[in-house]
This record gives sequence, structure tokens and C-alpha cells, in this order.
Amino acid sequence: MSEQNTLTYARVNDDIIRMLDKPTFKWWALFLPTLLFVGFGLFCFIYQVYTGLGVAGYRHPVFWGVYITDFVFWVGIAHSGTLISAILFLFRANFRMSIYRIAEGMTVFAVLTAGLFPIIHLGRPWNFYWLFPYPNQRELWVNFKSPLLWDVFAVSTYLTVSSVFFFIGLIPDIAAVRDRVKEVPRKIMYSVLSLGWKGSNWEWLHYTRAYLFFAAFATPLVLSVHSVVSWDFAMSNLPGWHTTIFAPYFVAGAIFSGLGMVITLTVPIRKIFHLEDYITLDNYDGMAKLIMLTSGIVGYAYGIEFFMAWYSGVPAEWYQFYYRATGEYALFYWIMVVCNVVIPLPLWFKRVRRNILALFIISIFINIGMWFERFNIIVISLSRGFDPAAWGIYTPSWVEIGITVGSFAWFFMFFLIFLKTLPSVSIAEMKEILPVPKKEAKT
Amino acid sequence: MSKDKKGGLKRRDFLKIIGVATGTAAVASSCSPPVEQIIPYVIPPEGIIPGVPNYYASTCRECPAGCGVIVKNREGRAIKIEGNPESPINSGSSCAMGQAALQGLYNPDRVRSPLSNIDAEKLRPLGWADAEKALTQKIEELRGTGKTGNIVFLSNNITGSLGNLVDQWMEALGGKHIQYETYAHEPLKEANKISFGIEKIPTYHIEKTDYLLSFGADFIETWLSPVEYTKQFSQMHGVKDKSVGRFVHVEPRASLTASNADEWISVKPGTEAILALGIANEIVKSGNSPNGGGGLRGLLSQYPADKASEITDVPQEVISQIAKEFSSRKRSLAIGGGVSVTGTNATETLVAINILNYVAGNIGDTVDFGDTLSISTADSFQDITSLVSSMENGDIDILFVYDVNPVFTLPKQLNFKEALGKVPFVVSFSSFMDETTELANLVLPNNTTIESWGDYSPRESVHALIQPVMSPVFNTKSTGDVILSVSGQVEELNGKFTQTTFYDYLQDSWKEKWAGASGAGDFDTFWKQSLEKGGYYKDLPSKTVSVSPAVASLKFSEAEFIGEGDFYFIAYPSYKYYDGKGANKPWLQELPEAITTGVWSSWVEVHPDTAKKLGVELGDFLSLESPQGVIETQVYVYQGIRPDTLSVMIGQGHTSYGRYAKDRGVNPIDILPLATDTKSGGFAWLSTKVSAAKINKSEQFVQTQYTTTQHDRDIAQAISLTELEKGIHHEEHHEADFYPPREYDRYRWGMAIDLQKCVGCGSCVTACYAENNIAFVGKEMVAKRRDMAWIRIERYFEESNNNAGFQTRFLPMLCQQCGNAPCEPVCPVYATYHNPEGLNGMVYNRCVGTRYCANNCTYKVRKFNWFTYKWPEPLDWQLNPDVSVRSKGVMEKCTFCVQRINHSKDLAKDEGRDVSDGEFKVACEQACPAEAIVFGNLEDKESKVSKQSHDDRGYNVLAEINTQPGITYLKKVTQDKA
Repeated sequence: MSEQNTLTYARVNDDIIRMLDKPTFKWWALFLPTLLFVGFGLFCFIYQVYTGLGVAGYRHPVFWGVYITDFVFWVGIAHSGTLISAILFLFRANFRMSIYRIAEGMTVFAVLTAGLFPIIHLGRPWNFYWLFPYPNQRELWVNFKSPLLWDVFAVSTYLTVSSVFFFIGLIPDIAAVRDRVKEVPRKIMYSVLSLGWKGSNWEWLHYTRAYLFFAAFATPLVLSVHSVVSWDFAMSNLPGWHTTIFAPYFVAGAIFSGLGMVITLTVPIRKIFHLEDYITLDNYDGMAKLIMLTSGIVGYAYGIEFFMAWYSGVPAEWYQFYYRATGEYALFYWIMVVCNVVIPLPLWFKRVRRNILALFIISIFINIGMWFERFNIIVISLSRGFDPAAWGIYTPSWVEIGITVGSFAWFFMFFLIFLKTLPSVSIAEMKEILPVPKKEAKT
Repeated sequence: MSKDKKGGLKRRDFLKIIGVATGTAAVASSCSPPVEQIIPYVIPPEGIIPGVPNYYASTCRECPAGCGVIVKNREGRAIKIEGNPESPINSGSSCAMGQAALQGLYNPDRVRSPLSNIDAEKLRPLGWADAEKALTQKIEELRGTGKTGNIVFLSNNITGSLGNLVDQWMEALGGKHIQYETYAHEPLKEANKISFGIEKIPTYHIEKTDYLLSFGADFIETWLSPVEYTKQFSQMHGVKDKSVGRFVHVEPRASLTASNADEWISVKPGTEAILALGIANEIVKSGNSPNGGGGLRGLLSQYPADKASEITDVPQEVISQIAKEFSSRKRSLAIGGGVSVTGTNATETLVAINILNYVAGNIGDTVDFGDTLSISTADSFQDITSLVSSMENGDIDILFVYDVNPVFTLPKQLNFKEALGKVPFVVSFSSFMDETTELANLVLPNNTTIESWGDYSPRESVHALIQPVMSPVFNTKSTGDVILSVSGQVEELNGKFTQTTFYDYLQDSWKEKWAGASGAGDFDTFWKQSLEKGGYYKDLPSKTVSVSPAVASLKFSEAEFIGEGDFYFIAYPSYKYYDGKGANKPWLQELPEAITTGVWSSWVEVHPDTAKKLGVELGDFLSLESPQGVIETQVYVYQGIRPDTLSVMIGQGHTSYGRYAKDRGVNPIDILPLATDTKSGGFAWLSTKVSAAKINKSEQFVQTQYTTTQHDRDIAQAISLTELEKGIHHEEHHEADFYPPREYDRYRWGMAIDLQKCVGCGSCVTACYAENNIAFVGKEMVAKRRDMAWIRIERYFEESNNNAGFQTRFLPMLCQQCGNAPCEPVCPVYATYHNPEGLNGMVYNRCVGTRYCANNCTYKVRKFNWFTYKWPEPLDWQLNPDVSVRSKGVMEKCTFCVQRINHSKDLAKDEGRDVSDGEFKVACEQACPAEAIVFGNLEDKESKVSKQSHDDRGYNVLAEINTQPGITYLKKVTQDKA
């Protein structure tokens, strides 16, 4: 690999730590709007709490809508981070090295975003803590039979584990930054965060074992968290929700959407910070292959749902899927199919997989398609239940759109802060795949 | 509407929000539930035990039927109206209008004090003394000029003491008392006069028949006595010994009544007379008439089936079919009435129906002329028209208006409004600012029925008492008291009446009844007994009548229509609003109309073919033009109407009458011409042809059910009569369940709903609103499907092999209180749980509002509080203190009236026993006029509900989901073409 030949240990440090330089005008131009939209989302939420959940577009019988769609969407996004950092680590897939930090950051921020939505969507959000099994003198307890409670545990566990894993991976890099920065406040911050890392052999020995351990610990979560999220739906009796395929279908979808989001995020970063030598076309090729796989699984799930609905002979079940493809929401259904199944098809060609622009465009469509997948599953199923007398159509209100936009802003706000405070490419692991330095190289 | 403002933040609210936004801590504190202050009765008033309701028998005056009611009073406020089981009219049931009388009492738009515009441009409030003085002065002024005959008291049909008082008063003043009823049924009287020589409206005994043939008589909706006849109908039409009565309804549109018929015969408007005679002819011709047609053979032979078929659009074989059934059943009855037969030939039509009954040998005990309706004594439409012309000529100096709204209910062509402008002094006794009262010079607001003493005699056998259940909500005064008080002040009338209060007057007039009643003890006992029972009821012997021979020489014609349009136009009375009176009550506005499930609006029913021709769809607007004017209203496409007919419901289109009625829909009476029935002179409701044109306007048609079919879900099931007769092979198959069945201790509350009996009238829905503090949300919210009803009437049109080609099925859907409830396991905080008596308990305080329970509810009967809904003062006085008022963010649903269950259990516990079967009724069951709902304990194998649950027709809705509902539905019985 010719471009890697120019990379040295010193250049890695220089290039990556340079990203943490004082924010430029461009950064502020991106960051301030995110603050504005977060503010608007907050305003929408307060307005909703003050007035009542009716300001959202909900209507009988569609009791869940955009908020739960957003929740599942962000939890899904959160998945590829751990997949890339943990599973691919265990599989020794080297193409993960350059992107896993960004993916992990994305995971943590996506979970932080996702976790807001179950609270935002509550009728009485000020009582959200009742969902936790905390001891209280009223002797009230939570219902462990409820999938929503499983969700509480799944999401909070995932947030804890992914944050810890994220942080552990950062320790050697933070130490590297600490050694470089001069300004006192930053020096103190990085000193504290590096936990006194010296880079000794003994430290490295324990560190790599710990990393491996956490990777192994996080791996089942990749599968379990989104399975639990899928059970929010699969455990009900609603046609369109009540199906055994949901857990694998959701996990594949989550990885699919997560990889889409990683590409969406890394392409501009790679360009802006000139990381072409780090995030290579080989890396993208690897991700694109995973996207091909998961897109195939998702496409298969779409098809098999129809088959099962027809094969079951249950009128309510069959009508549900007939309606998805032909009813008032048909446009959304076909957006989903096109974005998730048709548009990724060119990835079968190597030329497309190695074309950054093409990947970027496809990844945007994947994000859109996966958002609509969740919307379709939730809203269309609810709008056509068992009892035709209680059928209804839901359209989101400006409040829901405001909060959704706010959630994207909230996510990017964290991400932009991350770009300027923590090394977004792993310094330590990049060096693992570099040739051993020549004599004249400085460390 | 009664909910938090949404959208359009006020400056204050904006500041509040900004304040909240400044700190996250503040967020939490500002959102906590509002603090509710409880004000104790430190010294309760005498006779009131806080927490214990008092019940008072009274009489409903929302329509002329005069049902007996029992009003529940808690801590001095009337909170619920229930049917009086003692009343021979409704025997304990009630209708939606009756339930909603409470919202008349507590209507926020009531006239709160006397008003006058004598010294001012607009009506201004004044005290009662001044108001009465003003009236006294006017009367004396008029008497001074010597023009005494120019006083008219225009009221509805007030029988009993108030009617007598008004008569006496008018007599003393030299005035005239005119009793105006919107639906006066004059042709019915006239037809009976012609046929039997009795100018009266009889009572009917539908329950004694097994074949009912109705020509337009909408007895489930508004005709004469809907609760009573619905009850009788359900007895006749319900399943007994594997057989059911048969009901055939003839009308150009399938009204709610027609929807409950086994056959709906769509007849060309105005030709029912010919159809009835054609059927009669067939009966006579085939030799099935027990009297061989009497002397009418000759008359009838002019109407052979082929000719009748040609004129009426009813196929010949249907005519002979009906003739065969009608004469072969043991007891058949033909009834007629309602607007659709009230054309210019209305009397002839009804005579023809009498002839039909006669030749089939039916004139006997199913039509009872021994006990006739008091609506027979209402004045004729001609009296109204001559009143209007005297008003126009300036011959009326004082017009009193009592409990009628002629500006709204009379056709525009009569120019009542303009004529009213020529009356120098108009006094309205209305408690509501309606279209007529708006134009009055003096408003002396009357107490509502619930606040006043009175009596009403809807029929000869019933003398019902009205007693005040609470003190007046506003500064209103009973009209009887006003009359007595004013009489005392007018010099020449002084001493005319010995009584100073209407209560004394009432008692004095009841002393006469007491004297007439044999063996009633002393008057006090008689009075108290009558008060307790709600009145004094007599048994009257039935009267035998015979057909007058003059009938044979009568000429029968088709109705004549005014206007050149393509469509017959039916303006039909509404069972929710009657003649518009109910439109100011939000419960009635929000009660989905049974056929369309439409709310808070007007619409025109259009046949699908006609809709296609006019290029309109559901929700588009049509302009309907008659020679008298134009109305523009929304289209409802309905297969249950003839392609050449359009129909609009009466009751909406108020230009006044309070916030809930004003500017809502259209008033079809506006475009009716001033046509009369040629024989009786009564107003001809069906007399115009209109043209219809699409206009460039379309809106969402706001309804509560957007589907018309069941989509193969088998929700409202039916079995054919043949199957029922053969007996159903009931497979008692218990599917293997992973979990053992639930065990219940003493009670497992359950319900059985007989779909053969349910007529879809919705009185259960309104009763539930009243009992359970269910919020009404307004049209905008219903448009978003956010109505809060705990019980809904599902309406499905099913394909059928009957003449109409479809059948309408109604199914009341409410929480099924499942034994294996899908809502329970999904709640993360146990806000809904299974209680030991089989109820799905709902703990509002614990609910955080995840709404998963509603998503997982198979029956979608859970309703969510999207906002904190408010009842504008004093509508909130009606709230039931035994039921929590829910605030935003919590789920709610039917509780099986758990407050009533608990009340009865408490009583039983005090007496050391179990609750016995039928000891109490839940609100929907109690109201149901058809007695379709039975509630009780399923653990008690002897209870009525247990037995019905194991009926051959019993099934659970969506049983395949294995929710194990506590509600069993009994299948409707479809009758194949015999």
C-alpha cells in the first residue's frame, strides 16, 4: 500500500492531534446551528409537557409515532459502533482500525439521543423514574413482564458498557494528547482522563487484556439490545408486530443503518481533516461489503413478512401487509424498499464500493430508508389493527418534527464537541498496523 | 372546546414557558399534577349525608314522550338522570336526549337572569321584580287601550297543571293559548278520524306482534315514544324460544329504524298509500283476509299489485311476499308516520295503513285507542299559520313564547321571524338564548325541568310529576310562579288565582286527581306516593273501534312535490337533537350518529350512484336548492337511500342557541316549502324536490368510524334463522393453554350483549359519558380520532340477500375486561392489572402514559388523555364525585362502572351477604332501551349474565386472540327471504 508507506508514527501523532486544534470558523458555523436546533427541540418538548401530548400528531389508534421511530432509529445507529469496535476486533478485521473511534463515539452519542425518546414520548414524563425498580415506601414495583421494562435495562446497560468501552480505548490516545498540549486547562483535563498512563509494557499488557475482555463483554450486547428493542413490538399481539423474525431482522437493520451512518459521518471528516491516508478505500470496501450483507438480510425480511402474512391465512395479518404496500402509507413503504434494498445494489460492484462519493450518497439513502422502516413498522401496523372500526391515520405534527430535528442536532452537537476534544482516529491502533519505525524517526 | 389551548401561545404562556426553560429543576416542578383542594362539609345541610346520593323521581320533557326519570343528587347537585322503572312508558330505560338533559341544566350558555330591551338597544339583565313589573305594566297598558284579545301564549304541548294555568291566565286576559309541536302528527289524528271516527293518536303494543310493518314510522328515533317502542320492539324482535319477530320497514331512506329492520323496502317517496293498498289488495285477493276485506274490496281492487309496483318502485313479488307474511303471521301490525310519509297525501297514506291493518284483522289490542296520546291535543298547523298572519297584520300586541323555537323550526317561507318583528312586545320564557328568544323584548328564563315543580301527562293513563331535584343553578324562575306573581300584580286579575306559588297550584290541581283516584288514602299519602313513583298511573280499558264505511269512497293519491329539482328531499328529525332542541348539548353533539358515525355537524345522504353522477365523494360539499332557498352541506355517500332522494337531518344550523349549537351545520327546514297535507292541514314535511350541484369545497367528514365493512374479521356475527331453529351445534372446544385458567373467588364480573336487540341508538354511550366523567372534546379533536368515549357503537354494512342488498349491524364495543388481557403484561408500572374479580383495573395515578396498553389492546377500547380536558363552568357541576376526573397523560377505559360495583359490595357487606344478581345495573345497561345489555356475576351460575353467556348464539369477539373476554355477544339473527 503506497500511501501507507508515507505514514510514520510521528506523522500519525501530528495528523491526529492536529484535529484537536482550536476550532476554526467552519467548526463554529456547524456547531452554532446545532445549538439552535437543540434549543428549538427543547422548546418543543417543554411546550408538549406544558400543554399535553396532544400537540403531537397522535390519534387513536396510533399511540406511538415519530418519537418511538426516532428511538429505534437512534438505537439502531448505536449498533454499528460496538459492532466495529468489539466484534470486528475479535475477528481481527483490520479495516476497523481507522474508523472504530468515530463509530464508538457515534454509538455513545446515539444512545444518549435514543434514551431521550422513551421519556419524551411519555404522557407524564415527569414520572419517568417510576420505570426504574427503586425501593420506595409505597411498595410500588415495576412489571418485569413488560418489554418496555426490558428496554429500560437494555438501553441503560448498553449506554454504560459502550461508554466504558469507548473510554478504555481512549486512554493511551488521551495520554498522547496530554503529552502534546501546553495550555494548562487542557493539560489538566487530559492528565485526569489519561489516568496516569505512561505506556509501559506492564500497562500495555493489562490494557490489551482488558480491551479484549470488554470487547467480549460488549459483543453479546450488539445482538441483545436490539433484540430487546424489537420485542417491544414482537411481544404484542398486533398484526405486523407479532412476529418471531423481529429480533434478527432488527439486529441486521441496526447494523445496516449504523454502517450507513458511519459512512455518512466519516466521508466529510476524512475530507475536511485530510485523513485519506488513515481511512482508506480498503476500509470503505470492508464496510460496504457488510452493508451488502445486511441489506440482503433486511430485504429478505421484507419479503418473508409478506410470505408469512399470506401463508398464515389470518385476514388481519394479510391485510396489514397488503395495506403497507398499497394503502395511504404506500409511499413510505416503497421509499423504505428502494432505499434499503434497491439503492445498495450497486455495491456489488467493486468500483462503486471504492467510490467515496457513491458510498456517501448510498449511505444517506440508507439513513432515510431505515428511518422509514421503523416508521412503517410502528405507524402502519398500529393504524390497521384487528378492529376495523378503530382504524385511523396518523400524521406527525410540527412538535414531533421539531423534536426529531432537535435530536439530530443533539447528536451532531456531541459529535462536533468530540471531534475537537478527543482523537477521532485511534493513534495507538493506527500504529499497530504501521511498519516498525526506521532509525531516524522520532517518537 | 373544552381543552387546553393548543397552538397560538399567549404572551403570558410564553413567559411561563421561558421561565420554565431557565432551569431543568423547574421543569419537573411545573409539570406535577395540580394540587386539588378538598373543601369539607363542616356542617352538612339537613337531609344531605355527604357521599350518599339522593334520588328523585321526575319526568323528562326533552321530547313529548314524557318518560319517567330518576335524578341522582349528590351534595345538592343533580349528577345523573336514569329511567324510572315505575314509569309505564320507559320502564327504567332512557335515551341519549334524556341523559343529556343535565347538560341543558348546567349549560354554560343559559340565560342567567331576566333580560329586557325595553329601555335599551340590546337585551340587558335586570332583576325579577323589575322584570315582572315591566310585564305587568305592558299588560295593564294594553288593557287600558281595551285591546285585550291580542295576547297570545305560544307554547309546546304543555298538558297538566301548567297548561291549565296558562289557559286560565289567557282566558282572564282575553288572550289565546296556542300549543305548537314541531312534529304534531296531525295526519295521524285525521286518518284515525276518517278511519275510526276518533281524532286521537293511539298507543301501540309492538311487543304483542310478531310481524311489524312500518311505513316511515321512525319509532326507534323520534316517533311518538321512542324509548317505549324500542323496548317493545326489542321484546318482539328478540330471540324467544328459537324464534324472532319479523320487522319490515318502508321508507325512501334507510333510517336508523330501517337499519334495524329485517327488510328495508325502498319506496318511491310519497307513494306509500298505494303500496299499503296494494298489499291489502293482495291479502284480500288471496283470500287471507279474515274479514274478506269488509266493504273495501271494491276500493282495493283498484290497486292490483302490478299497478302498485309500477307506482311505488317496489317489485311486485315483494308486494305479494309482504302480503303473504303480513296476513299469515299470528299477530301482525302496520304502523305509519314520520316525516317520510308526511307529504301532501299524509292522511290518505295513514288511512291506507289503517285499511291494511283492518283487512289483515289487526284492529284490536295492538292498537289501543283506550289510551291515547296527549300530543293529540296540540293545536294544528293552521292555527300557527293564522297566528303568523295576525302577527304580520299587527294584530298581536303581546306574544309569549314558552319552550318552543318557531324561528328555527318553522319553514322560512312562513316568515315567522319577520312577523315576530311586527309584534310590539315579545316575552320569551326560554332558559336558552335561541333564535326566537334573541328577538324577544323581555326574557323571563324558566327553570329547567330538573329545577322546577310541574306535571305532564303524555297520555291519558299517565299523570307524571316533575319535581325540583336541586335549587336553580342561575337566577331563573319557574314560569308558573311568574304567571301567578304577575297575575297578583295586574289589578284586574288580583284574586283570580288563590295560590301564590305554582307548587300550591300544582297540589290543588292534583287534589282533583286524588279525588278521582279510588282508595288512595288521604291526599298527603297520595301526593307522596305519586312523587315517589314519579306520577299517578292508571289502567285504562282498551276501546274497540270499527272502520267507518266512508273509507271505501276515499280517493288515494300520490304526494305532490314543489320544485323542479331532480331529487326528493327528506328533512328528517334527529334522535339526538329532536327538532334542534338538543343541539346545545355537547354530549349529543359528540354522540356519533348511528348510520354515519358523524358528529358535531350536518350532512346530506347521497346514494353512491347519485354521488358518482354529481361527481362528489365523502366530505365534498353539495348545494341543495329548492324554490325556497339553498343550503350547502357535506356529502355522506350511503347505499341506504334511493338514488332519486337526498336527505338532511334536522337539528343543526342554529344561528344562536349557545356555543355548542351556533354556526354548526345547516337547517334543512329553511328550504322546505310551506306545503300542507290536504286532508289534515298539518305541515307536509316531504313536499319538495331539490336540485343538487357540487360546489368547490371539501372537508374531512368528521366521524368516529371510517370503515364500513368488517374486512372478514367476523366482529359483528350473525346466524340465520334457519340455523337458529335447527339448533346450533356448539363445539365446546377448549384449546390447550400454556397457563392454567384464572381462578376467581366470589365474583367475576361479566356482560352479555344481545346484538339481535341492540338498535344502535347510542343511549349507552351518553349514559357512560354522564356516569364516568368522560370529557367531550369537540369536532376538531374528534377529527383527530381523539374522542374519549369508553363505549362505541360499531356500525358495519354487510352484504345480504335481502331486498336492500345489505344489512346494517351494530355492535357496542367497550373494554372486554379480558381474562387474559393483552394490556396488562405490557404496562411497565402495573398501572393496569387484573383484579381478583376479573376487572382490568386501571390506576390513573400510577399511569405514566407509555400507551403500550392501548397499542396492544385487541379491541382498541382504551382512550388517552391527550390534554387536560375542561368542562366550562357550570357543566363541571355534573361530574360524578365517585369517579376520578382524569388529567393529561393518563390512559382510561371502561371500568364496568366499578364505583357501582363497589357501592353494591359495600351494601352487601354491611348486610353480611353477597351481591345478588340484578341488584345494581351498570350505566350502559341501565340506559339501554332495548335491554340488549346484561351485566352481572359470571361466577354465579344462576345469574342472568351467566345463562346468556352460555347461550347458543354466544361468542367472543376475536376469540382467536385468546384474550378470554368477560363480554359475550349474542349473534344477530338474519332472516333469509322466506
